[in-house]
Amino acid sequence: MSPSAVHDAVASVNDPEYPDVSIVDLGLLVSIDVDEANRSATVDLVPTFTGCPALAMIAGDVEAAVLTVEGIDSASVSWRRDVVWDTDRMSFAAKRRLATDYTVTLRRKDGTLRCPVCGSDAVTDQSMAGPSRCRSVAWCPSCRNPVEVMRA
Amino acid sequence: MRTWNDLDDFQAFIDDGGMVEAGDDMPDEYRSEVFRFIEFHANSELMGGLTERDWIPKAPGLRLKQIFLAKTQDEIGHAHLLYMVAADMGVKDRRSMLEDLFAGRSRFHNVFHYQAVTWADQIAVAFLVDAAAFASQRAVFAECTYGPYKRVLKRIVSEEGFHMRHGEEMLLRLAEGTEIQRQMFQEALDRWWWPAVQLFGPDSDPNDPLLAWKIKSQPNEQLRHAYIQKYVPLLHSYDFEIPDPNLRYDDDAEAWLTSDIDWEPLKATMRNGGPDSRRRIENAAANWTDTAWVREAMDHGVMDQNATAAAGT
Repeated sequence: MSPSAVHDAVASVNDPEYPDVSIVDLGLLVSIDVDEANRSATVDLVPTFTGCPALAMIAGDVEAAVLTVEGIDSASVSWRRDVVWDTDRMSFAAKRRLATDYTVTLRRKDGTLRCPVCGSDAVTDQSMAGPSRCRSVAWCPSCRNPVEVMRA
Repeated sequence: MRTWNDLDDFQAFIDDGGMVEAGDDMPDEYRSEVFRFIEFHANSELMGGLTERDWIPKAPGLRLKQIFLAKTQDEIGHAHLLYMVAADMGVKDRRSMLEDLFAGRSRFHNVFHYQAVTWADQIAVAFLVDAAAFASQRAVFAECTYGPYKRVLKRIVSEEGFHMRHGEEMLLRLAEGTEIQRQMFQEALDRWWWPAVQLFGPDSDPNDPLLAWKIKSQPNEQLRHAYIQKYVPLLHSYDFEIPDPNLRYDDDAEAWLTSDIDWEPLKATMRNGGPDSRRRIENAAANWTDTAWVREAMDHGVMDQNATAAAGT
C-alpha cells in the first residue's frame, strides 16, 4: 500500500452531477492522511458550497473507493469548514471539460464571461439561481445558447 | 446562417448527422415541432419542481429536506434553461408560455396530474416516475439535432442520474423498513405504476417527424418496453407486487408482457382533466402571482449589482 494508491482511489471518484469529472480535478481534496500501522486513511474534503446535497454521496463514494486499496481496512472522510472552495481550486482539465461538455464557464477576474460554445465575450447574466447551488445562469446573445456559470 | 432548399434537403442534412443551431434558417415545420417539444419539457420540469417543493416541509429529517430542496432547485433551474431555449425559437415568448401553462392551455407530463398523497407516493415518484422521465430524456439526448437543446439536456441528464440514486436510496429504506412502511410503498406503487408506464405515451406513429428529425432517437413503445423489462424484476426483487393481474413473463418473447394499456387516463391528463390537474395548475398560477415582486426586482437591475459584486468591484 502506498499513499499514492489512496490518492488514485480518491481521484477515481467523480462528481455525482458531472459523472465524468473527478472530485480531485474539481478541487475538493484538501489532504489525505494514511496511517499504515493502523491500516487506516483519513480524507479531508472541502464542499464547493455549504449545503451541497451531494456531500453524503461523495463521502460514501470516497470511503468505498479508499477501502478497495490494499492495506486499508478503514477509511473516513471529513468535510473541512475552515477551507473555502473557489474556482481557482479547479484543475485546467476540469475547467475545460466543464466548458466543452457541460457548457459551464467561469467568471473572469474582471467579471466578464466567455461563451464556452462560440467564444464570444458578450455573455450576460440572467439569473443568480441556476439548477444547482454552485451555478448561476447566463445567456450568450451571439450563438444564442444558455450558459451556466460556476459560482465562486 | 445555414439554409436549406426544402424539407428533403434538410432531411439529408439531418441524416448526415447535422446539428441545427439557433441562427440557422431551419424549416418552419422543424421549428414549430421542436418548439412544442421543448415547451412541453419545460412545463413538465416546472410542474415537477413545484411538486418536489411541496414535500420540503414534510420530508422526514434534515438530510431529506436538503435533498428535496436541491431537487426543487434542479427542476426549476432546468425549466428556466429550457424556457430560454424555447423562447429564443421565436414561436412564443417566455411570458406567453407561462401564462398559457397557468391558464390550462398547455400540456405537461401526465405524472404531474396526479396527487402524491403520502410520503411513500413521493418516493414512488422519485423511484419510478423520475426513472421513466430520465429514460425518455436520455433517449432525446442520444441524438437531439437541435444544438441548444442538446447542450441543456447534457446537464439535465447528468443531474437526473443523481436524482435516481436518491430515489433508490429512499426506496431501499422503505423496502427494508417495517411492515407498515412496506405497505405504504405497495399502496403508492398501486397508484403510480400505470402513470409511470404511460409517461412514455402510446405507440409512436412511424411517420412521427420528431423521429425523422432525430429529436426522438427511439419510438415510445421501445422505451416503454425497456422500462418495463428493467423495473418489473427490480420491484419483484424487493418483494413488491405490480398492480397488473395479467403481467407475465413470456418465454418466447423473453420479456415481461403487461395487460393492454388503457390510454384514457393519459388522454385526460393531456386535456388537463386528470385527477389533480386543476389543483396543480391553480397552485402553480398562484405561485407565479405571489412571486411577481421578484421579477419586478430583477427588472430593476438586481442582476447587474450581483455581477458587479461577483467581480469584486
